[in-house]
Amino acid sequence: MPRNRALISTAIVLVVGLHAVPVLYRSERGTLWPFMQYSMYKGSSPPGPIHAEKRRLIAVTARGAEQEVTPMVLGLSVTVLRSSLRSMAAGDSAAAGYLMHRLNRGRAEPFVELRVESTTYVVSDAGIVRTAAPPIAYHAEPSETR
Amino acid sequence: MKQWIARWEAYWFPTTPVVDLALCRIIAVASQLTFFFPSLDEHLNLLRKNPVFIEPQVLIRAIAAVVPRGEFFTPSVFTALYWVTAIAGVATLIGLATRVAAFVFALGTWIFVSHLFSYGDRHHTEAIFCIFLLLLAFSPSGDALSVDAYVRRRRGRPRSAVADTAIWPLKLVHVLLGLSYFSAGMSKLITGGPRWLNGYTLQNHAFQDAVYRGFPVGMWLAQHHHLAILLSVFTIFFEVFFFVSLFVPWTQPLFFMGGLLFHIGLYATGGYDFFQHMVLLVLLLLFVAPPWWRTWLGRYLEVLRPRSRRAAQVHGPS
Repeated sequence: MPRNRALISTAIVLVVGLHAVPVLYRSERGTLWPFMQYSMYKGSSPPGPIHAEKRRLIAVTARGAEQEVTPMVLGLSVTVLRSSLRSMAAGDSAAAGYLMHRLNRGRAEPFVELRVESTTYVVSDAGIVRTAAPPIAYHAEPSETR
Repeated sequence: MKQWIARWEAYWFPTTPVVDLALCRIIAVASQLTFFFPSLDEHLNLLRKNPVFIEPQVLIRAIAAVVPRGEFFTPSVFTALYWVTAIAGVATLIGLATRVAAFVFALGTWIFVSHLFSYGDRHHTEAIFCIFLLLLAFSPSGDALSVDAYVRRRRGRPRSAVADTAIWPLKLVHVLLGLSYFSAGMSKLITGGPRWLNGYTLQNHAFQDAVYRGFPVGMWLAQHHHLAILLSVFTIFFEVFFFVSLFVPWTQPLFFMGGLLFHIGLYATGGYDFFQHMVLLVLLLLFVAPPWWRTWLGRYLEVLRPRSRRAAQVHGPS
């Protein structure tokens, strides 16, 4: 086998082989990009209602000014924001404290309240039914607002 | 052993026209530059709002081990890197110092994607496409349709129109797609079990993302149980058996076109944006699929007509 073919063959084996690393080395499977494992949407649902939740996060200042918290405002990805929103909707005040701290870092006028607004969508025989849940508010610790 | 080596060489190193790989270079790099190029604002925002990485990718850890975070991961360095990557991308596109340019372009792209995925989030869409961009640097992708080829012709030193190292990057992409689809399909069957095919699973997955992202087709699909069962079966069949196209060449056009439909459907229903996979599937459909397909396609795509006959000669019958 000519030298360049041998080098290319080695590279091919290496590239394919490196895709086994995230499978074998579980603790690092999320940090080996572009060598990834491709288990996506693997969970299954039992027969039952088809439902979805749509949530948004509103930050409020002491003067009552409101701003929707987006990934760009937060400086984190949409996945992290959605995960935090899920926790906050379930009553996790630690997640709220973490986001409040991030949002207020370096802000002249800090936010004093984070409000989670949730809407549930359910598929029914009559179409999609929307139900808005009462908003859940989290207030900043006094040290956050100084 | 000799027989295995001969089989390996016959698979990875058949003689093919270099213009095929050059067209792949142009399509892939143009796609990356126009549709998939990183957003500088997004990266500068991440750098400004995060004093530390949340879950740094291996490439970012490697860079941080050599250069302190405060010196490399700064808005000014990333702005410079952005423009260097863009210029290298344009050079790769036109084929100017192609190998070096393609390497710089791919490395810059890898750094941006790795950086984006170092803050607690990661996605699958870019990975195989970025590997392909890097492979362009290690193959004769600039031997045709390039400034390099033009200069060599002018100097009276043109390179051969065919090479035995002009198809392996695409074949490797084919293998990696096969692995990724198989992994995705098997994880659904192992974790979700047969219940993954019950229709409710697909309805729920589609509905949740369609509602969140505002995709009406997904909301419509979530209301059609029997269609969801059919699409679940199609999903599992396509993902688990895509690898068959590696061993049975005549099935390749079916799986590649099935893959395109699969990704178009995923995007329409839930906004799953596997556009890079779609570009790769188009490249496979144009340049790896068997000669009968290319000859048939050549009747409709004038640009492929002269090469489809040549390809049939060098590939031999499938």
